[in-house]
Amino acid sequence: MFGPLIARRALLGTALAAPFIRPSFAQGSDPYVIGTLFPMSGPNAEYGKLFTDGVQLAIDHMRAENLLRRPVRVQSEDSQALPQQAVIGMTKLINVDRASWVLTGFTSVSKAVAPVADRARTITVNGGAVGPDLERLSPYFWNVIPLAHLETRAIFPFLIRRDLKRVALIYVDDPFGDAILQLMQREFPAAGGTVAGVFSIPRAQQNFGAVAARVRQARPDAVYIASFGAQQPQIIKGLRDNGVRQPLISYSGINIGSVLSLPEAEGLIFTSQKFDFSAGDALTRRFAADFRARHGADPAIYNTNYYNGTRLFALLAAELERENKPVNGDTLRETLLRIREFDLVGGKASFDEHGSMTAAIQINEIRGGRMTPIAG
Amino acid sequence: MIAYLMNLATIVAIFGILAATLNFIIGFAGIFSVAHAVFFGLGAYAGAQVALLLVPDALLACLVGAAIAGGLSLCLALPALRVRGEYFVAASLGLQMMAATLFAEVKPLTGGIGGLVGIPRPTLLGVQIGVLPVAVAALALILFLTARLQRGAFGRTLQSIRDAESAAEALGKNVAAAKTLAVAFACAGAGIAGALFALHLSFVNVESFTMDQSVLVMAMVIIGGTGTLWGPIIGAVILLSLPAGLAFLPFIPATEVGAVQQIIYGLAMTLLMIFRPAGLVGDLSKGRSTA
Repeated sequence: MFGPLIARRALLGTALAAPFIRPSFAQGSDPYVIGTLFPMSGPNAEYGKLFTDGVQLAIDHMRAENLLRRPVRVQSEDSQALPQQAVIGMTKLINVDRASWVLTGFTSVSKAVAPVADRARTITVNGGAVGPDLERLSPYFWNVIPLAHLETRAIFPFLIRRDLKRVALIYVDDPFGDAILQLMQREFPAAGGTVAGVFSIPRAQQNFGAVAARVRQARPDAVYIASFGAQQPQIIKGLRDNGVRQPLISYSGINIGSVLSLPEAEGLIFTSQKFDFSAGDALTRRFAADFRARHGADPAIYNTNYYNGTRLFALLAAELERENKPVNGDTLRETLLRIREFDLVGGKASFDEHGSMTAAIQINEIRGGRMTPIAG
Repeated sequence: MIAYLMNLATIVAIFGILAATLNFIIGFAGIFSVAHAVFFGLGAYAGAQVALLLVPDALLACLVGAAIAGGLSLCLALPALRVRGEYFVAASLGLQMMAATLFAEVKPLTGGIGGLVGIPRPTLLGVQIGVLPVAVAALALILFLTARLQRGAFGRTLQSIRDAESAAEALGKNVAAAKTLAVAFACAGAGIAGALFALHLSFVNVESFTMDQSVLVMAMVIIGGTGTLWGPIIGAVILLSLPAGLAFLPFIPATEVGAVQQIIYGLAMTLLMIFRPAGLVGDLSKGRSTA
């Protein structure tokens, strides 16, 4: 009597379990797992797509070059840019997928997963968040993006040369914004400039009419915007719609599609890592050409950072394979600290003892909806 | 895999505490609060500060978290005594928004948006432990207390207030005291959950205590079944393990993983509410349209 019922349940159970069954690999050809912990849904999903595009191109190049003896597999987890979801995703990547290397972004996510990475001794690499408080989170937490204070400092001489000596700062009220505020107040006067006014904005603010009025009152020569995400195009539009005509200045985080495609962003000046996609080294040219062929657009900074974050793993793992050493958090870290300087997209990149990257900075302008290098 | 499941079980236990305590005021007292994440946050910051400044003792962190969240719950209880139904929802919404802003601004206590980092691993009587056993013990204690209170005179008073507040008052019940006690008990429980959350994640910031979190906990209660003992726990298990389970689907492309998971998750929740409107453990005769 129970026979058909049990058979039906067994069939149903098997059918439900089928998607979860993974192919098993032979020990010698076990793939290296690169975990990605990006926001793939929600308001920050635009970033997750940018980050992932860079990772996928790096994987394809790595395979084409036969850089590693073992295959590489990417395992994606959706962090939603939230700490709690990120920790769940991170523990899965480490304990279930056995990720050798995890790529992440966003300040709160980075801070939440750094202790997990530290306990598991799994290298976790940030290529998107630029808050200076991301330095020294853990020996196993690295940054493949110059942190904001390094970028902002580089634009001061340019502003003085352009006679943009009175700068108003609009900054988001968080550790990143606070770091830019402190840097501007401490170092811009020393470079010969004046901070004409500082305007703090909450992260959730969307209407900038009142801020624009106060900026106009301060009569600056230029306006520096220190924000991120969907708020950036809203600030730019809010300023322009409310009569702020002065040059707008920012950092690499502004280089996203929603800003580039905004007519009001024309002429915006921002810093980024130094990239010469047309006349740079062979690696940089190949990256740019293949990215354009695949996506029909120039690569953004974030595409590049996550390409570099993935390629850095390949370079370190290849070195360890040559030495017949195991690839794990400790050996990867030892190798990074021994080599220190790597050929990545954009040229030579060097890492300090905390795993933070320093690279040459260039100054760009948005012209015709594209990032155009103008100095540096 | 075991470490991953233990991590998921810890988060489920913590949110089980949150859902069970919210169910106590929604399901038994009829107080619809959308500010439960505020008390979760108060407990988290209190527990984190105890661990950072004094000692990372899980018991001490939970006690301090419960005392602070339960004590400050008077902010919610006082308007609760004056307004009912949708008016109270609006009042708690205001409290949620104000608290989220305060969490982001009171930097010496909360670390602002940057949050508190480097919270040490929990100990119990000087021995380092995982959060899971403490969370499970706290959940069991809260369920036991809920069951006892539900069956006693206090529980019947709350249910009479939920069903007909004026009638309960006319029968001589001290409505104000009963509501205040119910809110204090629920918020102290949320404070315990918060302290455990801080010790488990080793990092807390305001993003974990927003309106979205309050709505998520309320969804756990409704999907599991309001006014039932086990419903909120079932709701917590489903709402947290379903997205985690969807992460194992190997055929979703990397760039679409979030969108596909959210669509499946949303669809499952919608179907659940269509076919089990009173929640999974709730009375089947309730919640359906009779038109």
